[in-house]
Amino acid sequence: MNPIGYSTGALAHGDVARGLSVVRRLGIRVAELSALRLRELDPMVAFVDGADLSDFNYLSVHAPTDFAPTDEEHVVATLERLACARKWPVIMHPDAVWDFALWRRLGSCLCFENMDKRKGKARTADELADILSLTPEAQVCFDIAHARQVDSSMTEAYRLLRRFTTRIRQIHFSEVSSGSRHSPVSIAGLRAYEQIASEVPDGVPVIIESPASVDEAAIEVDAVERFLNYASVARTQVS
Amino acid sequence: MAVDDDTRDRSPVPLAVVATPPPTISPMASASQQRPIFRLEARLGANWPNLRTCEENTKATLGQIEAKVGKLTTPDTSLVLYGSLARREFTADSDADWTLLVDGQADPEHLNSTLEAANGIKGIGIKVPGREGTFGQLTFSHDLIHYIGGQDDSNTNTTRRILLLLESTSVGQSAAYDRVTRNVLHRYLSEDHGWLQGRNPYGVPRFLQNDIARYWRTMAVDFAYKQRLRGGEGWALRSTKLRLSRKLIYASGLMYCFSCREVAAIAEGKEGTASRLQLAIDHLLRVGMQPPIDIVADVLDRNDEFHEAARAFGDAYDQFLGLMADSAIREHLENLPQEDASTDPTYELVRHLGHRFQGALDRVFLQPSKSGIFELTMRYGVF
Repeated sequence: MNPIGYSTGALAHGDVARGLSVVRRLGIRVAELSALRLRELDPMVAFVDGADLSDFNYLSVHAPTDFAPTDEEHVVATLERLACARKWPVIMHPDAVWDFALWRRLGSCLCFENMDKRKGKARTADELADILSLTPEAQVCFDIAHARQVDSSMTEAYRLLRRFTTRIRQIHFSEVSSGSRHSPVSIAGLRAYEQIASEVPDGVPVIIESPASVDEAAIEVDAVERFLNYASVARTQVS
Repeated sequence: MAVDDDTRDRSPVPLAVVATPPPTISPMASASQQRPIFRLEARLGANWPNLRTCEENTKATLGQIEAKVGKLTTPDTSLVLYGSLARREFTADSDADWTLLVDGQADPEHLNSTLEAANGIKGIGIKVPGREGTFGQLTFSHDLIHYIGGQDDSNTNTTRRILLLLESTSVGQSAAYDRVTRNVLHRYLSEDHGWLQGRNPYGVPRFLQNDIARYWRTMAVDFAYKQRLRGGEGWALRSTKLRLSRKLIYASGLMYCFSCREVAAIAEGKEGTASRLQLAIDHLLRVGMQPPIDIVADVLDRNDEFHEAARAFGDAYDQFLGLMADSAIREHLENLPQEDASTDPTYELVRHLGHRFQGALDRVFLQPSKSGIFELTMRYGVF
């Protein structure tokens, strides 16, 4: 079974501490600490250094996506110290990278995410493979909503899952609108995701990115549980 | 037309053609390889200069269009080219059949992009699309994906959809084009229950094949319709195209569908319906990326038993392209009255080429062969 967690950014925009407290209230112990903006990174370091997170079974860090080339060394060094030293995966948008040589330092703790259709990189399996060729040790964060937005027939999702089966270290779960905004998963979205459920690797943490209040987040967790139960059965049927 | 018939599909005595591994009839060319038609030309020691000239013209023209209007495309809009550009048969007298395909939020700016595309393509000096209004304007993905069959599936919509699969290419950003093509295939395959569940031992998707057959018959019927509507104007040129380039689309469409049996063989016993579906979409995308003549040529090339027919096929088609590239001959055919056809030497040549081309297709589709294509044609191409 895949552990289910939540992104702190989806629960409490830019506030890791509050996000984690909501995660705890949901009764789950899996989370992605989100610092999508550069200004959120140093406060996150300060918080993590002073917090007791020992009750969590799995944590990852979503790296900033808005830094300038002059800040890149600082970002990489901070993530090495914050995440890699604790063996937490670092989830990164490939289009935010300026110098891939710097990011190679993160080794296998670096996970590149497949991107939404607005981006010029890593939207498809082929494009993501190009990125991974620059960082041979990097792993993959499979974003199911991005994959569906890029190709609603789910063929690209299937390709991504098949091609990177052994490299997928985390899964992002939500729905993405045509305007590329994350939203709660709809029935149509779940139906589409079920088409490739059998390919979802067992045991990989699933992080929900749907923006939500506590009550709404509980509904999302239920939806993901149902999806993962479906995936579990689907995997059995094809094996 | 083929109909879904589970009883027949479950025939206890499958034809030899479905024994594993099936004979290779699947077009497999990739962009980096030589085009199958030229591979076939080399293998047969043939000389098809018109095909090569057309390839050069097409390459140059697509480059010009891309440079001029490719920037109008976005992640939600693609400039899709059909007709001679997609067949890679462009000549000086060809028109550019294009559409701005929209797959995303409605935006009033889409019309302006269409007008800019029209002006840009016209500015290069390429003839504007035909008068039916099928091309040269906006196309919305919803119509292509949702209206398959039924009252809303107009001739225009059917034409745009089937040609999207069998005779199209795009310039500029291709995301919308790729997405819509996959979703159209998704509809044909995911709603073909017998095929999806693996109950069709030949692996040929009937829903898709029936629609391709319907499109071919529609073209043939519309030929008569236009002949009446236009008082015979331009009939000889349309007849020439129907005998060769239009017929080629159908032949390639049959090969396209038949090639799915190899996906079925791969998926057999190992994959669930999701994998069967996605493998087939992926497969058909790869096959459909090729021009129709390459889809057929690849099969002819890989099957020695068809090499004699392949020679007739290529020779006739190359000569046809030579005629289409000659402005005087084209104009002559455009203006030829129907009553003069039986004594006109140019039209006699067209008839001869049409018969030679048909003879080659008869050999491939309508006579028994090791490839199994005959059996598949019997099973899917007629009833």
